Amino acid sequence: MPWIADCPITSHQEVAPGHCRMVIHAPQIAKDAQAGQFCMLQVQEGLYPFLRRPMSVERIFADGLSFLYKIVGEGTRLLSRMTQGETINVQGPLGKPFPIDPSFDRHILVAGGIGIAPFPALADAIKRTLGKTPEVIIAARTEQALVGNRDFRQMGCKVHLATDDGSAGKKAFASEMLEKLRPGPGTVVYACGPMPMMKATHAVCEAAGVPCFTSLEAEMACGDGVCLGCAVEANVEIESERMVRVCKDGPVFDSKLIHWESY
Amino acid sequence: MSINLQVNVGGLVMKNPVTVGSGTFGYGQEYDQYFDVAQLGAVTVKSLSLKPRTGNKPPRLVETPAGMLNAIGLQNVGLDAYLRDKLPFLRQKGCTIIGNIYGHSMEEYMELAKRLEAEQGADAIEANLSCPNVHDARTARGCKLVAQSPERVKEYTQAIKTSTKLPVFIKLTPNVMDIVEPALAAEEGGADGISMINTLLGMGINPETRKPILSNIVGGLSGPAIRPIAVKMVWDVAKYVKIPIIGMGGICNADDAMQFILAGATAVAVGCYSFRQPDAASKVIQGLEEYCIRHEITDINKLIGAMMV
Repeated sequence: MPWIADCPITSHQEVAPGHCRMVIHAPQIAKDAQAGQFCMLQVQEGLYPFLRRPMSVERIFADGLSFLYKIVGEGTRLLSRMTQGETINVQGPLGKPFPIDPSFDRHILVAGGIGIAPFPALADAIKRTLGKTPEVIIAARTEQALVGNRDFRQMGCKVHLATDDGSAGKKAFASEMLEKLRPGPGTVVYACGPMPMMKATHAVCEAAGVPCFTSLEAEMACGDGVCLGCAVEANVEIESERMVRVCKDGPVFDSKLIHWESY
Repeated sequence: MSINLQVNVGGLVMKNPVTVGSGTFGYGQEYDQYFDVAQLGAVTVKSLSLKPRTGNKPPRLVETPAGMLNAIGLQNVGLDAYLRDKLPFLRQKGCTIIGNIYGHSMEEYMELAKRLEAEQGADAIEANLSCPNVHDARTARGCKLVAQSPERVKEYTQAIKTSTKLPVFIKLTPNVMDIVEPALAAEEGGADGISMINTLLGMGINPETRKPILSNIVGGLSGPAIRPIAVKMVWDVAKYVKIPIIGMGGICNADDAMQFILAGATAVAVGCYSFRQPDAASKVIQGLEEYCIRHEITDINKLIGAMMV
């Protein structure tokens, strides 16, 4: 069950240009949260911004959570101004977590830009529950937009970097990097990033015959399945069930379910 | 001091004047995890159509200053699934239910009303004659919503009234020259109440891509941004019709709700603010009681239309 609580901000820092990490004290939410879930953050008390902002849970601690986000608009810009010691109203945890299946022995996490956000918690969970260390592909447009690679190295993960312009790591797309890693039997892929990147990653996984779980992003009003504003098209026979809610049916979906042709 | 919050909306007894806007509260169960939804004067369910509806393609939603623009397109489970999967929860909780209905024709509205009554799926009917998001904005122009034509409002109201003994409320659109005209038409057609207002038509364009923000191009604007318009329209209509009004449009708290009541609404609905604060409607009930205590009013009915000029 999701909680709604005023949570003290215990740390809030810019970790890369235009990217921030917020840590909150939220023992109840932390107790229930699983990797892949998200929270709805109320940026200010007034009516602007009107809606909460959905944020992936980056890491889960004993007494709180962290969020890693990119400043993309007014809401995140205002959010970035909040400081340690202030409180923020947080609703969560929400949505479906990443499935963690012991029958796989190779886990590849594919992140595009700020799509890295939910993966530290996933890497933690894979290590904790399966005793395995995932490999991570971090791709971004440029070196400046690469965030989080140091955190994964500290966790002992093998990190593969790629940029569109070759300014850091290989000059390649995330999906091309994945192809080079030759995913095969026993591999499971988790992807989060822009839709075209996840679409390409899904295609690589299909060709390799390995399962892929994608974490989607969408504009949301309620975050809890009511408004139907975040729906995306799915491969469902019954027409009336074709629109699935990113917030409630996701944000993590088996990539086979998503109707990628629409994106 | 004991306060009476009970109101009677055209035959529907509500233990307090607070309901929720159709489409902002699902079928009740979703928000029951945040507060006991049986506290509400009534739960107004998401528009029900005879057949399930897929709704519009994404993007369907965008935030706006003090509000939001949506073009969901009445995605809903359909009447059969509602009766089978959603209704038992609401009945078991003891909720008073306003069944919002949407049809493609007068006959469909009649069928929906008839079946909701027969299967005890609602305690009152709210006919959505005013959803702005089910027409193609590229081609449709002019009078396309039933609620934009007083003649059709009257005709539809009469037809729905012949199909059910339940109280019938007509939900009106603000996208008209003079909302009093369809309101009077609903009253003449025998409506037991008027729900107002539905969303205001609006749109947004991304200047970078030069593309519309919503896939449907046009959507409905809701939230506190539209509240002054809604209060004014309720005041306009209350002067001319005798049937009760369920007022809505950007209600966030009890003060907002009081504006509608003072303007002439018998009941109020909390709409998209529930998305931000799931227990907002519960807080409004509490706040209305506190308002009455503070103003030494023992019966909230005395405040309906009690604006002092």
